[in-house]
Amino acid sequence: MNNGPLLFLGLFAAMACSWLSFIMEPQLQIGSLQQTNTVAVGDASAETYPLAPPGDAHQGEEVYRADGCAACHTQMVRPQELGSDISHGWGARRSVAEDYLFDQPVMVGSQRVGPDLANFGRRSDVNGILMRLYDPRSLVPGSVMPAYRFLFETRKIEGAPSPGALVLPDRFAPAPGYEVVPRPEARALAAYLLSLRQDGYLFEAPPPPQPKTNSVPGAAVKK
Amino acid sequence: MSAIVSPARTASNTPTEPSQAGKADCCPVGLLYLLGAGTVWLAIALALGFLDSLKFHDPGLLADSAYWTYGRVHAACGSALLYGFGVQAALGVGLWLLCQLGRTPLAGPFVVFLGALVWNFAVTVGVIAILCGDNTGFEAFEMPAICAPMLFVSYALIGVCGMLTFHQRQEGPLYPSQWFVVGSLFWFPWIFSTASLLLLYMPVRGVLQASTDWWYAHNLRMVFLGFAGLASSFYFIPKLLGRPLHSRQLAGLAFWTLAVFGSWGGIPDGAPLPSWIASVGVAGTVLTAIPMLAIAVNFYQTACRDLNTLDSSPTLRFTYVGLLFLIIAGAQQIVGALPQVSAITSLTWFGVAQKELFDLGFFAMTVFGAIYYIVPRLLGIDSQTWCPKLAKVHFYLTGIGILISYLALLVGGIGQGILLAAPGHSFVQVMQGTLMPLRMSTLGDLMFLAGTVVFLVNFAWVVGTWCRQCCVAARKEAK
Amino acid sequence: MNPNEPQKPVNENGAEPSAGLSTVPVWLIVVFGGLFYWCQLYLDGHAGGFSKEVYAPYDSPEAVMAANPQSEGDKMVTIGREVFTKTCSVCHQPNGLGKEGTAPPLVGSEWVLASSADRIVHIPLYGLTGPITVKGVQWNLTMTPLGDNLTDEQIAAALTYVRTKLGDNHGSPVNPELVKAARAEAHRGPETADELLRIPLQ
Repeated sequence: MNNGPLLFLGLFAAMACSWLSFIMEPQLQIGSLQQTNTVAVGDASAETYPLAPPGDAHQGEEVYRADGCAACHTQMVRPQELGSDISHGWGARRSVAEDYLFDQPVMVGSQRVGPDLANFGRRSDVNGILMRLYDPRSLVPGSVMPAYRFLFETRKIEGAPSPGALVLPDRFAPAPGYEVVPRPEARALAAYLLSLRQDGYLFEAPPPPQPKTNSVPGAAVKK
Repeated sequence: MSAIVSPARTASNTPTEPSQAGKADCCPVGLLYLLGAGTVWLAIALALGFLDSLKFHDPGLLADSAYWTYGRVHAACGSALLYGFGVQAALGVGLWLLCQLGRTPLAGPFVVFLGALVWNFAVTVGVIAILCGDNTGFEAFEMPAICAPMLFVSYALIGVCGMLTFHQRQEGPLYPSQWFVVGSLFWFPWIFSTASLLLLYMPVRGVLQASTDWWYAHNLRMVFLGFAGLASSFYFIPKLLGRPLHSRQLAGLAFWTLAVFGSWGGIPDGAPLPSWIASVGVAGTVLTAIPMLAIAVNFYQTACRDLNTLDSSPTLRFTYVGLLFLIIAGAQQIVGALPQVSAITSLTWFGVAQKELFDLGFFAMTVFGAIYYIVPRLLGIDSQTWCPKLAKVHFYLTGIGILISYLALLVGGIGQGILLAAPGHSFVQVMQGTLMPLRMSTLGDLMFLAGTVVFLVNFAWVVGTWCRQCCVAARKEAK
Repeated sequence: MNPNEPQKPVNENGAEPSAGLSTVPVWLIVVFGGLFYWCQLYLDGHAGGFSKEVYAPYDSPEAVMAANPQSEGDKMVTIGREVFTKTCSVCHQPNGLGKEGTAPPLVGSEWVLASSADRIVHIPLYGLTGPITVKGVQWNLTMTPLGDNLTDEQIAAALTYVRTKLGDNHGSPVNPELVKAARAEAHRGPETADELLRIPLQ
């Protein structure tokens, strides 16, 4: 190998090989996915999936991106055979490509310092999310997540307390006469987190075999 | 501790040796700047990483400041490490090797300097932008869209000079290090342009963004940094031992198999992609056993009779240890790719340990070794200008630091994986259990940072000595 | 450094390194071949035939099909498509858009896509006559009853196909039980639009 151009060609071929199989072919296969129908299970009928998230969730996604939440939180549920995600209650089925159609950017993440958030919207509520953001230990004792107090404003109560003020346990509550109010970023982030759900079963990720017993032909019909 | 100063060295080390003439010393500024700024970025990255890991010990730390959020600092640390240090150091060492092995001066030294200036500007803008909240959200590619063209242009300036230097070589046959440098020079623009276009300018739809990013990050480490570091190992070990590399064929095998199989992978098993994509990645990763074995055999055969010289020069010492860490990191990556293992270890600290060992243990250590050799020759001064005591301290601090940090994260990651897989442990309990390993790892990182700072002091001393000598020479001439 | 030890001095400024000519050891080539073979076996077992619809833990498109509870429904759609092509499409046209003077459209029809199939099952069973408004257009034609030629399952399958898969229709499938119940009503003569409207939707 003393020939420069040959070296270049060899490198180019190696690169092309990798590029074609990891960039090009996936793009051809799933690069133009569209909304689809969920698999009807039991009495539920098939529904369009995924649905576009509400507008404030988009703003919250920007907060999620800017603050690098994906450094510690994944948004992918692995199948039961490849990890314990489903037993941890992080989702009913594995995640598939269809689940990320409306994400921009897609922040799947690659490390779990905190729990998976793929279905966080199904197991949380606004107040819980805001408390966790203000100080995670106010809701989950022993949590290792940092506090995000900059998403909140601690201000003096003037007149009546604000309706949106956080209700915190004593240990975390601000000084008497003060209240903690979420800033718009915190509300948007909460809206985004509430929108996180990978609902319904899809063809690629069908329901587990148990409910199959009642699936006589046309069982999904409304009575 | 006198091992650093060997008698043979003092005798033959004058700057104007004929074999050294006509090399990069015609204008050291560009390469010196790449290496120096790279090391400064490494220290910055390590400091940011240290700040970040403090949050595990006091989660309320700096909680009122958006700029110092864990996620932002984490991204800034990664960008400073990969782009500030990794790419710059790879270019600095690579270009010097092309000059040295081609027996030709650097083409366009001022263009290289200009490119390095733009590069540093772009990385600075990127890191500050990340801290201000302009993070792309893609791992290992966090700097905002505005930085990508700047980075690309400055890389092109430096890379074209590198290719011209390669083209002007005087020596006919290529030495393996040259393949590796050329490989890394080409690899970066290909993967970087793919990532920029498909993630930032014409974003692909849905989860393909994640797969493109995983592919990019894997290629950046395995192939780009891997090639650049190996180029240095393949040069310095035979050179300093004064014996030929054991086998050119084995080096070729390692080169081509790393280019072909090292570029496949990085996609976690269970990722939301059709299963063939992750499976092909697993196959490619398992096949990187071939380059790793070829490298190990080649270096073992080259150096086994001279293992007692390991301690005789900081360059050899760092390069040896770097290689050892490369083999360990490579083996861990292969084991971690097997589905039976990845079901437990993927997405835990296990992977972080592997990346840290690769970036710091292999790449940074190898680059340290190269800098110890390159900088005095670049400046045309005695290589004994390096303070040998500081060099020893540097070696032990970084070597032991990375080892502690790696082992702690490895054990913590495996423990985390096993406990999460076992029923009856809540996530919070498991994460509490990883705090102890994380403390150890913080300690190790702190040692690595201290070692890097010691090295920077030594570096500044060498450059200062050179400046003084230049002043003296100028004064003499004036008289 | 111990001065008595014959230490090979570090060659700091010597010649540039050269590379030896030793060949690649045979065992490494054997290992390469072995690993390559393993990788092929691995891809056979785990790559899911390189299909875009196969995600772990399934290993082939057939396995995904088999795991889907819809496979029964799919069977109905397949039967339904057959019945539709042989019988319905003659008048309603293969695209389901109907034809002036022959038959009203099925695609987008409010009768077809009603929230339940209680009304629509009567039409193929007993036929239809008299004026009927479909998508805002008045039709006045006669459709012959098909209840004697088709089984409950075939009618349910055809209606399922028409309601869920034909054109842009995305309704719910139809249970054969519903057809059976409608047949049990012991109807005389073809349906009319007014009679149909009296049937409550569920």
